[in-house]
Parts: sequence; C-alpha cells; structure tokens
Amino acid sequence: MEKENIFSVVKEAIADVLPDVDTEAVSIEQNLKSLGANSIDRTEIVMSSMEKLGIKLPLVSFGGVENIEEMVDILVDA
Amino acid sequence: MDVQVYRVPMQRLIQGNGMPQESDHGVAIVGMGIVCSIGDNIVEFKESLKKGVSGITRLADRKGPKLSVDIGAEIKAFSFLDRLYRYSDIPETLLQKARHCAQRSPFAIQASVLSALEAWQDSGMVARENDPERLGVIVAGESTTQNYRYGLHAGFETDPEYLSPRYALQFLDTHQVGVLSEILTIKGEGFVVGGASASGNVGIIKAVQLIQAGIVDTCLVAGVVADLSPIELQGFVNVGAMVRGNEFQTPEQASRPFDEQHAGFVFGQASACVILQSCDVATERNATVRSTILGAAMNLDAVSTTAPSASGEARAMNEALRRGGVCASGVDYLNAHGSSSPLGDATEVEAIKQVFGDHVSKLRVNSTKGLTGHCLYSAGVVELIASVLQMEGEFIHPNKNLENPIDHKLRFSGARFEKARIALAMSNSFGFGGINSSIVFQNAC
Repeated sequence: MEKENIFSVVKEAIADVLPDVDTEAVSIEQNLKSLGANSIDRTEIVMSSMEKLGIKLPLVSFGGVENIEEMVDILVDA
Repeated sequence: MDVQVYRVPMQRLIQGNGMPQESDHGVAIVGMGIVCSIGDNIVEFKESLKKGVSGITRLADRKGPKLSVDIGAEIKAFSFLDRLYRYSDIPETLLQKARHCAQRSPFAIQASVLSALEAWQDSGMVARENDPERLGVIVAGESTTQNYRYGLHAGFETDPEYLSPRYALQFLDTHQVGVLSEILTIKGEGFVVGGASASGNVGIIKAVQLIQAGIVDTCLVAGVVADLSPIELQGFVNVGAMVRGNEFQTPEQASRPFDEQHAGFVFGQASACVILQSCDVATERNATVRSTILGAAMNLDAVSTTAPSASGEARAMNEALRRGGVCASGVDYLNAHGSSSPLGDATEVEAIKQVFGDHVSKLRVNSTKGLTGHCLYSAGVVELIASVLQMEGEFIHPNKNLENPIDHKLRFSGARFEKARIALAMSNSFGFGGINSSIVFQNAC
C-alpha cells in the first residue's frame, strides 16, 4: 500500500514536470527517460517527489536507479 | 514631406581575402513582437498608441513588506499557455517546442518567448528553410531574474535541499539565449547585453553591428521584461528615480515626460522583440521591410552614478546620424528617452537643442513612457517598435500628461493623436552609469 501511495506521488511529480505525459498510462516498470524526461527533468521529479513526501535524501542515493520502481523503493525505505 | 537625406559614402568592403563582406549599409527591421501593459501583440499596441491608452494602475498585490511605491504599468493576467495558443497562425511544431522549453520557466522568459514568436512569424522566417548558423540572438537586459529569485527565498530558508535543479540554469540571464535559440533553431552568435535603461538600444546596436560585420544575416533582439522584485522597486524609490504614485490623483497621471509636474519614472513591463536582417537578404527573400536602421551608436560619460550628461547624449545622437549618413535637419520625429525624471528630461531637452539647433521647431518629439511607463531593459525595443508603428500608420501618439512643457522651443506632440508623415526618425535611450544610445531609422517605403 505504502509503495502504491508513493508511486502515485511520483506520478504527480511527473505530471508537474512533463505535462504532456498521461500519467494514468505510466507503469512502475517504465523509466523516466522513456517518458521524454531529460536529466534535469529527472532530477526535478526526484526532488519534487521528496518534497511532497517530506523526505530529504542526498541525490546520489538515486544514482544507480534504472526505472521508476527502483526510485519508489528508495523513497519507501527512507 | 520632403526630406533631405545625405548619404555619406562610407564603404569598407573587404574583398578578395575570403572574409565576410563588411559594410555600412542599413539593416532592415523585418519582424516585431510585443507583450506589454497596453497590448498583448503589435496590433493591440498600435491601437493603444493611437488612442493614448495608459497601462499604469495600482500594482498587483505582492508578497513581502509594504513598499513606498504602489503604481506601475504591469503585464496583467499573464498565462503563458493561454497566450501561446492564441498564435493560431504559427505551426503546431513550433508551438510545441515553445511549450516544452518554457512551460516551467519564470515569467520573464515566457514573455520573451511570446514576443519572439510573434516577431518571428511577422518576419516570415517561420515558413522558410533558414541556415541556422547565419542566425543570431541577442537578449537585452541584465539581472532579469530578480523577482523569480525573491519568490524562492522563503522556501530556501527552510529547505534548501528542495531548490529546483532548474534554478542553476534559470537564474542566469543567458538561459534566455538558450531557450530562444532552441525554439527557433539559432546557431550563430548569441549573448546577453546589459546597458541599464538603455539595454534595448544596446541590443539593437550590437545586432546592427553583427549584421554589418557579416557575422550573421539575421538577428533576433529580445528586450526582456523587467520583473523587478520588491527590493529593486524600493531601491529605485530610495535612489530618487522612481515616482511613488501617491503624489498624483490617479496612477495614470504619474508618468508625465517633459511636464513641469514630472516627479520620476513609473515602473513599466514589456517584452519586446525585433528581427533585424541584412538588406541584401531581406531583398533576396522578398521580405516585408518595416523600417531600415541607418545609424546606431552608444557611448559612455565615464561616470558610475545616475547623473545624465547633455554632452554625452548629444554625442550619441550625432554619432548615430553620422553613421547613418544623414543630417539632423532630415529627422522628422524623435522618440525621446523622456522618462519623466525632472533632471533626465531637462538634460535631454538640452542635448536635443545641441544636436538639432533651429530644427527643434520642426522636429516632433514624444515619449512612449507616458503610456507604457519606463520598461527599463526593453524600453529601447518597445520605443523602436512604437516609432515604426507611427511611421507606418502616419501618426504621432499623444504625449500623455504633458500639460505644461518644461520647454517651449521643442515641438512636443500634444495630448491627442496627430496625423503626421515620418520619413526619418530617431530613438534615444539612456541608462545609469553614463550610458547613452541613439538609433536613426527610416520609413521602409
């Protein structure tokens, strides 16, 4: 449940940063690059998600992330 | 109207060495765009000029402390996307690019994108295959992200970790160069110029020089909207340059260039763009030339203060005339810097008399700042556009609030719209730090 909640917060962040993406159609296995996010967009999505969740983690924590699910898992564990 | 135009033979053609050709030929204005307090586009702006509409009102509510000034000519009800999709004649792919690049940008950048698109469309460059390396972009304005930064400050004090990564790009004035070049695929020279209140003219002057030097064929000049934060607004009041507003019954009365009651400038907002092009290229592609810039010059007074100098201003006007190969008596119309500053207005009157002598009885003079307020960085571009619209429409816009002129020799336009044919015009812009600039341009027709 926790994971689903966090995924929906991440989708809100994606909608803010990438207004052309239909977030209803985004699945957790996808990566942000495939949604058209450049490196700054990706960083902004991570930071905006953390802000919405009140989490503060160093950005390097997300260094090896390959898809949205791995990012969500890090946020779940925070 | 007969105008004597004396062309000075000043050809400096470098030939036979493979270098680009350098010449003193005029530079064509082929596109114009604007978003300001009295018009969301060129057509609306022209109508407002004709009618003498003022954009000055009480300032919108702002965060922060109560300031000593509460009036200005702001761009109101701004929505980037709403305005973007009003450009129905611009190709969808270009609009998508603009949306992608600027949807999350600060207001100052979004306003530049809108006026740049209008100018680009007007120039006919949209519908054409352009060589990107022959296109340039100059962003005229300095410290253009002050209010954006001010707005981030409270959040930053508590949670610096959440500062958007975009900030590192967006606080730089050069970000506008990046955004405009990406949207319009510009790959020649591009940079930011600052010249305080003369920034717009400085941008135009540098674009003219780039084109005359053969470095680019076409150059977009974007005069950036002044999105001042409360700190800059209070700063201009404290230095004695900006009128507070409470001295007058209505906000509209506060900007009164060359009137006895002038008491300082009124804050104005405008994003204004022009597309300049070498006359050869404009002719080759059959472009509609709206006006031709013949001469443009700037200089310094070698002072670091706010003090204006009549001799410096006169030098700029004389040099612009000389470079244009025209004489003062040929000029029909002057769009004065006229900021409504008591010292600034008096100094400019003195400089105008030095340059034009007896011709001041014929030279028509007005100041667009009576309607738009002082648009600071973009003022030079706004006023070039205002001048071209008056040339094209054969009118002189009113000098709003000019009831008792500080000088009776100059031929100031009155409180009402007048019909007039202008063949040759000049526009002045002066800035803090002893920066003087002047541009001379002629009717395209």
